[in-house]
Amino acid sequence: MFKSKKVLTLAIVMVLALSLVVTGCSNDAKDEKANSGNEGATTEKSGEKAEIDIFQFKVEIAKELEEAAKAYEEENPNVKINIQTVGGGDDYGAALKAAFQSGNEPDIFNVGGPQDIKDWMDKLEDLSDQPWVDKALEGVLSGATVDDKVYALPFNLEGYGFVYNKEIFKAAGIDAEKIVDFKSLEEAVKTLDKKIKDGELEEEFPLLESVFEFPAKETWITGLHTSNVALGQEFDSSIDAFNAEEVEFKYGDSLKKIIDLQADYSMHRDDKQKLNAVDYTTQAEEGIAIERVAIIQQGNWVYGLAEGVDEEVAEKLDILPIPLEGGKEDSIPVGVPMHWVVNKDSDDAVKDAAKDFLNWLYTSEKGKEYVVNEFHFIPPLTGYEDLEVEDPLGRAVSRYAEAGKTTPWVFMGYPTAWGMEGLGNNIQKYLSGEFTWEQVISESQAQWKEMR
Amino acid sequence: MEGKKKSKRGTLILTIFLAIIFLLPFYIVLTNSFKTQKGIFLNVTGLPFGKFFTLENYVNAFKELDFVHSFFNSLLITIVSTVLIVIFSSMAAWMLVRTKSKLSSFLYFLFAAAMLIPFQSVMLPLINLMGRIGFLNRGGLIFMYVGFGASLSIMLYHGFIKSIPVELEEAATIDGCNKFQIFWYIIFPMLKPITVTVSILNAMWIWNDFLLPQLVINRPESHTIPLKMFYFFGQHSKQWHLALAGLVIGMIPIIIFYILAQKHIIKGVTKGSIK
Amino acid sequence: MKNSKGWFWIFVGPVLLAFVIVVIVPMITGIYYSFTDWNGIGNDANWVGLKNYTKIFTEDKDFLNAFLFTAKFALVSLITINVIGFGLALLMTKDFKLTNFFRSIFFMPNMIGGLILGFVWQFIFTKGFDSLGKLLNWSFLRGWLADPTTGFWGLVILMSWQMSGYMMVIYIAAIENIPESSLEAAKIDGANAWQRLRYIIMPLVAPAFTVGLFLTLSNSFKLYDQNLSLTAGGPHNSTQMLAMNIYNTAFKFNKLGLAQAKAVIFLITVAVITLTQIYYSKRREVEM
Repeated sequence: MFKSKKVLTLAIVMVLALSLVVTGCSNDAKDEKANSGNEGATTEKSGEKAEIDIFQFKVEIAKELEEAAKAYEEENPNVKINIQTVGGGDDYGAALKAAFQSGNEPDIFNVGGPQDIKDWMDKLEDLSDQPWVDKALEGVLSGATVDDKVYALPFNLEGYGFVYNKEIFKAAGIDAEKIVDFKSLEEAVKTLDKKIKDGELEEEFPLLESVFEFPAKETWITGLHTSNVALGQEFDSSIDAFNAEEVEFKYGDSLKKIIDLQADYSMHRDDKQKLNAVDYTTQAEEGIAIERVAIIQQGNWVYGLAEGVDEEVAEKLDILPIPLEGGKEDSIPVGVPMHWVVNKDSDDAVKDAAKDFLNWLYTSEKGKEYVVNEFHFIPPLTGYEDLEVEDPLGRAVSRYAEAGKTTPWVFMGYPTAWGMEGLGNNIQKYLSGEFTWEQVISESQAQWKEMR
Repeated sequence: MEGKKKSKRGTLILTIFLAIIFLLPFYIVLTNSFKTQKGIFLNVTGLPFGKFFTLENYVNAFKELDFVHSFFNSLLITIVSTVLIVIFSSMAAWMLVRTKSKLSSFLYFLFAAAMLIPFQSVMLPLINLMGRIGFLNRGGLIFMYVGFGASLSIMLYHGFIKSIPVELEEAATIDGCNKFQIFWYIIFPMLKPITVTVSILNAMWIWNDFLLPQLVINRPESHTIPLKMFYFFGQHSKQWHLALAGLVIGMIPIIIFYILAQKHIIKGVTKGSIK
Repeated sequence: MKNSKGWFWIFVGPVLLAFVIVVIVPMITGIYYSFTDWNGIGNDANWVGLKNYTKIFTEDKDFLNAFLFTAKFALVSLITINVIGFGLALLMTKDFKLTNFFRSIFFMPNMIGGLILGFVWQFIFTKGFDSLGKLLNWSFLRGWLADPTTGFWGLVILMSWQMSGYMMVIYIAAIENIPESSLEAAKIDGANAWQRLRYIIMPLVAPAFTVGLFLTLSNSFKLYDQNLSLTAGGPHNSTQMLAMNIYNTAFKFNKLGLAQAKAVIFLITVAVITLTQIYYSKRREVEM
């Protein structure tokens, strides 16, 4: 009896071990690719069958991009597009590296600014001959160009400023039109603050408790965006910042004023250290979207968040300039947050298809509709005249752009992680009283130099 | 007699008190999963009420998670990995305990020491290697779980097996049983309490794991629940209402599993066999 | 005892194979990379010798801070987690109704992944504690996670809450395994509850303590998810733990080589600490 059971047990173990090896060895990705290569040999277009792997980071457009890809596949039956979206926010860089390490290199992926482009240079296809290059708005390709060659297609344009609630301003009797410099902004903030304290606005906006919310916990907001207000006028472009050996903080004092204004008129004005625990959610969804605060330093992307919480409030939003005293005071920083690039090492047929897809997405009638109406992007190219950006914050950014009241985004050109890990942390120390402003400046300067 | 009753009541009260503290965070998860977005941000700690109450989160989360599909994927990966970990680790641990040699103790310390390796530091070389041998799929993922799960499981089994008297096995050896028979018919049944523990701990970890599947599984149709979950967390947006509802749905299977499993940690399994 | 070598490999082989391929080989590759300037992209890693290591010891004060913070955290949570976990296990092995129900409750924190858990606790610390503090007028409940001290205790509380249920499960398995007869015998001999705990239960559970302490220690040292989602290392990196420091070096600063060197130093240090711990607990096991 024992004997037969012994055989049985052995068999089970062997099968298990074997099944492990067998399942392990079949790579389904490869199998399917091989299969799909054999099928569909008869397609109308003479082109080879191509399968494009896209590795992208923007969860917000994941579904819409799938739809756009389907529409493209319908027009081009010999192309198949696989989209992989990395969820969870900021893990894209690690996931992308892993994808390349694994050997399953994507054909289209995303890169940020000059540093990214330099890091990934060995993998980037020269896109200078693409039709969309000539259509690019002035300056938007600067971050994607190296030695006069264009390597990347900008995702979109984004802009940030002081997002404010028009109705609250109206109720407080403040004319937003007249806020064109730091002085007038400070004036308005003081008026608003007084009215909130006196309870004059309580009836209409019962939750309103302070003018600003300043999320110092999020160093991307302070270390990248806020700092860019000043450094975007010290450097001409992200490339310029990227090439700079040192940072001067030419407008350091004005930057201090912008930070102080937001901190001094926030909920934690009496104990500013607590701002270091205030996060983005508290600022956006739990701040401006429920009318708990009147102004936040944020970009057009918060529209989607506010809309999710309260559509009516979202419609009341608009953008004020971030006035840098002594510099351009009536402008907002506008820039390209991310780029599409094509993998140089993919097969030629796949590369051609990948380029064609990107071109289709941003220049064909159908593609443009996806970009504007589905992705809710502010297009980085011309030729979108008859498509109107729908949300009020997107319109506001377009308004500033058309009026030429913009300053560049240069934070992509900061030394890697300097903005968030260096300056952003120093600003936290400033708020907790550990650093004086002078120390913030000198420490950040030293870190810049060291990291370059 | 009086005193005993009193102490029993005291124990119960203490337990209930502790249970409430342990459950408080779940109160936040559960109540907010029934609120609209605005409801969550207006008042995190309150109960869902009036116009802020909604069941839609569950419907939407169910849809967006592609629940049936991803549930099956999670289930398959979790069950197969856990079973393999249990079988192979218990076998190895028993051998390691019963073999008194330098090699045996070296291997045990190697397994134990590996628990200290932060995953992030082997991540890229691992993915590179797995890509080369064609292991970037569900089968490969299970293989990796066996590798990563081995350390903890072997440690737990090792500690437990040491408390089992070796006399039993010696008797069986005299009866003419070979190692396999001894292990499967005598040892493995006695390991039941620790097997249940090992299964629970591994299943829990694998069920919730995000990073490894994210690196390994690149086909949307093979996605597990945590992978889909993170679609609720974007660059600029966190859809808390959906994430919390999804969290509750995703937790139900594992709670059921836990309750079923731990019934098997029956008191005194070894009572009869040790003398 | 013939052929016992063959049996040894049949039993140990399968899991060892997976373990070597998944853990050991990548780790050795990783050690190799620690001597290079690899940035994680492409395959052009140049040999730089010990430069990464000297850099860590001479320039990188953040790494040292992270190390000290992690060590402090590991020590404190080691105590809280195991005391609570063992206490729960004792409670949960008493004969009374609903133990299964309560065991499930205490274990439930482990059913949520670390990242989400951190976000939920962030709600509790920043919002829940704040409103409670307002209500009771206790100022120390307000503004949690905004400074290094509350950030530290926030992490300790979160981890104790999560991991003590885990330890409970391990200790329950050990306690349940104690032969009823020994406890009965002790009772008959007139040992009181404390004496039974001290002289019967504790010694018999000692192997589980070895495992439990080791697990808490290694988990605390490796902590990443909860650290990221609860404090993200802030304010100003004061609550940044080792795993996060390594992760950021690798993927935010793109210095994979340097990160691997940190991982090696980390591994060696922690191995020394934990192996010492195992050595001593093992000796105690014998003595007890």
